[in-house]
Amino acid sequence: MNKSLRIGSPRELEAWRNLLTTNFDPNKTTITVCAGTGCRACGCKPVYRAFKEVIAKEGMAKEVELKATGCHGFCERGPLVVIRPSGIFYQRVKPADVKLIWDQTIIGGHTVKKLLYRDPATAEIIQQEVEIPFYKKQKRLIFEKNGYMDPFSIDDYIRLGGYESVVKALTTMQPEQIIEEVKRSGLRGRGGGGFLTGRKWASCRKAPGTPKYIICNADEGDPGAFMDRSLLEGNPHAVIEGMIIGAYAIGGSEGFVYVRNEYPLAVKTLNKALADCYECGLLGDNILGSGFSFDIEISRGGGAFVCGESTALMASLEGKVGEPRAKYIHTVEQGLWDKPSNLNNVETWANVPLIIEHGADWFASIGTEHSKGTKVFALTGKINNTGLVEVPMGITLREILYDIGGGVPGNKRFKAVQTGGPSGGTLIVETSQRDIHDSLVAHGDIREEEEARSLLDLPVDFDELTRAGSMMGSGGMIVMDEDSCMVDVARYFLSFLQEESCGKCIPCREGIAVMLEILNKISAGHGTLADIEQLELLSQGIIDTSLCQLGGSAPNPVLSTIRYFRQEYIAHVVDKTCPAGVCKELVSHAIDESCTGCHACVKPCPTNAIIGEPKQLHYIKQDDCIQCGACFQICRFDSIKRVKRGSGDALQEKARKLWQSGAGKKTPAAV
Amino acid sequence: MKSQNGDKQALVTIEIDGQKIEVEDGSYVLQAAQALGIEIPTLCYFPFTTPYAACRVCVVEARDGKGWSKVVTSCNYPAWDGLQILTDTPRVLNARRTNLELLMSRCAELPVLRNLAGKLGIEEPRWGTGEDSCILCGLCVRVCEEIVGASALTFASRGGARNVTTPFHEVSDDCILCGSCASVCPTGHIRLEDQDGKKVNLRELQLGPNSAITMPFRQAVPNVPYINTEHCIHFQTDNCGICAEVCPKECIDYEQKDSTEEFEVGAIVMATGFADFDPTPLKQYGYGALPNVISSIEFERMNNAAGSTGGKILMENGETPGRIGILHCVGSRDDDHHKYCSRVCCMYALKFAHLIKEKTGADVYQFYIDMRSFGKGYEEFYQRILDEGGNVIRGKGAEVVPASNKKKHEGHLIIKCEDTLIGRYREVPVDMVVLCTALEARADAKEMARKLNISTGADGWFIEQHPKLGPVQTATEGVFLAGTCQGAKDIPDTVAQGGAAAAQAMKLLCKGEIMMDATYAEIQEEYCSGCRICNDLCPYHAIEFNDEKCISVVNSALCKACGTCVAACPAGAITGRHFTDEQIYTQIEGMLA
Repeated sequence: MNKSLRIGSPRELEAWRNLLTTNFDPNKTTITVCAGTGCRACGCKPVYRAFKEVIAKEGMAKEVELKATGCHGFCERGPLVVIRPSGIFYQRVKPADVKLIWDQTIIGGHTVKKLLYRDPATAEIIQQEVEIPFYKKQKRLIFEKNGYMDPFSIDDYIRLGGYESVVKALTTMQPEQIIEEVKRSGLRGRGGGGFLTGRKWASCRKAPGTPKYIICNADEGDPGAFMDRSLLEGNPHAVIEGMIIGAYAIGGSEGFVYVRNEYPLAVKTLNKALADCYECGLLGDNILGSGFSFDIEISRGGGAFVCGESTALMASLEGKVGEPRAKYIHTVEQGLWDKPSNLNNVETWANVPLIIEHGADWFASIGTEHSKGTKVFALTGKINNTGLVEVPMGITLREILYDIGGGVPGNKRFKAVQTGGPSGGTLIVETSQRDIHDSLVAHGDIREEEEARSLLDLPVDFDELTRAGSMMGSGGMIVMDEDSCMVDVARYFLSFLQEESCGKCIPCREGIAVMLEILNKISAGHGTLADIEQLELLSQGIIDTSLCQLGGSAPNPVLSTIRYFRQEYIAHVVDKTCPAGVCKELVSHAIDESCTGCHACVKPCPTNAIIGEPKQLHYIKQDDCIQCGACFQICRFDSIKRVKRGSGDALQEKARKLWQSGAGKKTPAAV
Repeated sequence: MKSQNGDKQALVTIEIDGQKIEVEDGSYVLQAAQALGIEIPTLCYFPFTTPYAACRVCVVEARDGKGWSKVVTSCNYPAWDGLQILTDTPRVLNARRTNLELLMSRCAELPVLRNLAGKLGIEEPRWGTGEDSCILCGLCVRVCEEIVGASALTFASRGGARNVTTPFHEVSDDCILCGSCASVCPTGHIRLEDQDGKKVNLRELQLGPNSAITMPFRQAVPNVPYINTEHCIHFQTDNCGICAEVCPKECIDYEQKDSTEEFEVGAIVMATGFADFDPTPLKQYGYGALPNVISSIEFERMNNAAGSTGGKILMENGETPGRIGILHCVGSRDDDHHKYCSRVCCMYALKFAHLIKEKTGADVYQFYIDMRSFGKGYEEFYQRILDEGGNVIRGKGAEVVPASNKKKHEGHLIIKCEDTLIGRYREVPVDMVVLCTALEARADAKEMARKLNISTGADGWFIEQHPKLGPVQTATEGVFLAGTCQGAKDIPDTVAQGGAAAAQAMKLLCKGEIMMDATYAEIQEEYCSGCRICNDLCPYHAIEFNDEKCISVVNSALCKACGTCVAACPAGAITGRHFTDEQIYTQIEGMLA
């Protein structure tokens, strides 16, 4: 920020924006390097430094601008570099490629083909960012500015129209009008609950008592979800702007951003953004001369999952142990320090400036009947295009998973997708239509004679996901292929929740532990059909009486997997097999006749259970094998099979006979 | 949920199991149910702390009569107009059962849980049983924070690892050792730790609850309780205040202060009594270390119908003892402690034997050095006890040890002694041992003596003026002795001495004037330089300094004519009446002549 003047009025802000726009040359070549956490992990910093060196060396600092931006979302392909204004999109850029890009693209005006994105489906090389299928189907509203601005620069944000909504709200709208607008937009809380934001604001405004606190929940704890982090890292001003508007509408004077300490970059960008806002008068006393004053403070949390729950978060803000309390009296009436408190999620706040800027009708035109706007999902797991996607509500799972996500890698079969984090549910994606039909009929969602719609065609919004036995949650979306065992998945999420339960109330603390014990029993092959019934029964009790939503939704992973994959559970308890070959106690590893004798599996085996000379058939001593799966991972010929416990010897005997007869030996020759 | 905004004093009508009740808007459902006498089980509820809603066994079903219903915790669910509560629907009972069974998977064998399980019809919990003794109800944490105000306890860790502890598991400086956490703990998980092998002795001698509010004693006038400010939490942390909250007459006044009242009196009867010898140093008897070894005064209290056992003789485990040993001369007739005989033990020990026989039929064994039944009717009583079958063993108890499991003893304790009448070493198994502790002078006797210018003997008892001629008088005129402050004695002797002391005091008061010796010291004003040497020397504090005249003056009523000041006065200004220097010199001359 090259301006030390305080902005005292909307006119001055406008003047500043004009100055920035005048000085900005839209045709100037800009190299944007994605500097989100994902790309940082892939090594974007050396790339950025290399560009900087080249520019300095060539003395082109005036002609070429270099910008480190927030997350572009396509984390799978990081580090990402986009050349503007041409919009050329380079992916997986190494520092060594920088010189090439400089010479060919910046100077020469050509593209570097090997760095361009190649669509795996069509093998077509795509030059423009917007043309890439991953981005094409998305509707990037709250992430729009991410690729264009330096998160540490308030100038960039102002130039791109930032704080225009604050001006509009403070100068032309009454607080009630803003609330009405947000209500009409149909915006629902993006943190998981999906409560209507406008209605929440109205209750908080109405609640007696001062001061009123405005809280931003940035305690994103779901495994695999990172949209809040990316938003704070890439565009912290959008959140601040939303909070200012919210505070004005509700009548709040103090704000807190509760962000986990594991997000150091987000804390850094946020700190800088807040400092800038205070310096130019967008926060503090008498914002833009409107007479409205508002302060925001950062509070760093210790990373407990339960602190994402509103009452636990407030307890933590107060400096107490982060554990929830009953919400019979809502936090909008008695929240932080027993004062009216309005808590919204990062993404919710970031939506607010858009609604004010474009109007409720525009916002309401996006999405489905009861879920408006866009939603950011963190697409992770067994999917080709890992990353952040922002899509309009109502898009189908098929579009997200295939068109945007690019399907499952390695020719594996899609099995399921888990949404809503640990408290969410696992949705079946591909199985026989019959199974889905039966499950839906059993739960009364459709009648016997109706035809079940494949869940791949499920329009993704709050209500549809809930109806299907999952939830929106904060927007994690974990894709699983045929190698995932559903009992194991439920077990994983339960053990996460058991560790993260605050331990205050009995159903959550003891109930999850008991459920986990039963699941352990099942995955060890000691379960019975009664155990499955027991799980369902216990789930109901936990849902009914848990103190907070962490406990109340904890059984979801179990219930939803039982609902869609009951057969898999039955396989575990009746046949004592794990169809996906994951549950160690139920599988044996054995080598079949396709073994080439490459010897690669011998060394990694921790118990020396694999015996065999090079170019000879290998075999696994079943007594010594601990089913760690190291050989399975390393075998390049798919010769190591996971079979039902106890049937390993038979398979190996068969392979030995085939080898002896000469049939097996053909394989090594063929390779 | 319906809102409960607005005036908290507003009244609303709610319905619990069909019974209507009017309560304050926003007050909790559980309280209303209790007012109606409807029982709702609770584990983490305490009426004086904010409800915690962690145990989830107080759940009830809330309805609005229009189809909405929800399972809620009654301890913190606020009442609103038209609320309908059902406390025993299958859904509610099922939820309670599930949660209790889940809790029992952590800690099963606690009486508080077993009782509740019985009420809810749980025979064996479905999901196994655990052995933890803490149910994580958080009562201790909340009481320590909200009532005591010390915040010395907290929850640590999450999930299944959650536990109650002091910060960083270390002894907390914030703990004021009030014991509230232990007293509120429903399972006995928190205990006050014995220190230095000595049990924490509570009021009522380990037999009853400890409390900072107490009646001074049963017959106190006025018969009202008082607050022991040394132990009261309110006076330590400025918190608590539960007594003021529960007192319907608003009688609790924390502002009251101790005050010192001054009375002018003509005579003082000292009846300060004795102290009970603490038998802890006599390690061989195991007092404080072994169970069921108690002192005679504790046994006396146990026998009292107003005591905490209601007069029943019980062991610590609540059972009636079958054999009781009584050890005489604990601290008395002992070269290491008190050489004197405490005079009362033999007879009260015989009385104990009689009471025990009468109440429990237990065998009683007396271990004595000499049986001193010297008073009127005493020897006859001794004979009667022998006739009743009381065992008396002549020999001082040597040691009390716990009975070993190997030998199949009948009792829990073994008393070892030498039976001097048969000349044999004996081991007598018993269930309970009563120590006849010595009577000794009070620790503050010396201080009292100094205040009143009387003296104490080597044993600490106050010394009378003359053992035969002045048995209730003291060296100080107008100060009389009554009872055990003068020496160990039994009740008849005490009453007699008390009567005598009272009569002596009355004698003094009735006259309205006192007769004094003609001899006392006199200061000749013109010679006194006001050096005040005599002031401090006078053992009877009879000399005062007159500020106006700047000379010392003798109070002739206090002066005992000891002559100390006469000898000490550097100016020779003090003379003893009837003992002038001239008279003494003349006498000396006469003797030498």
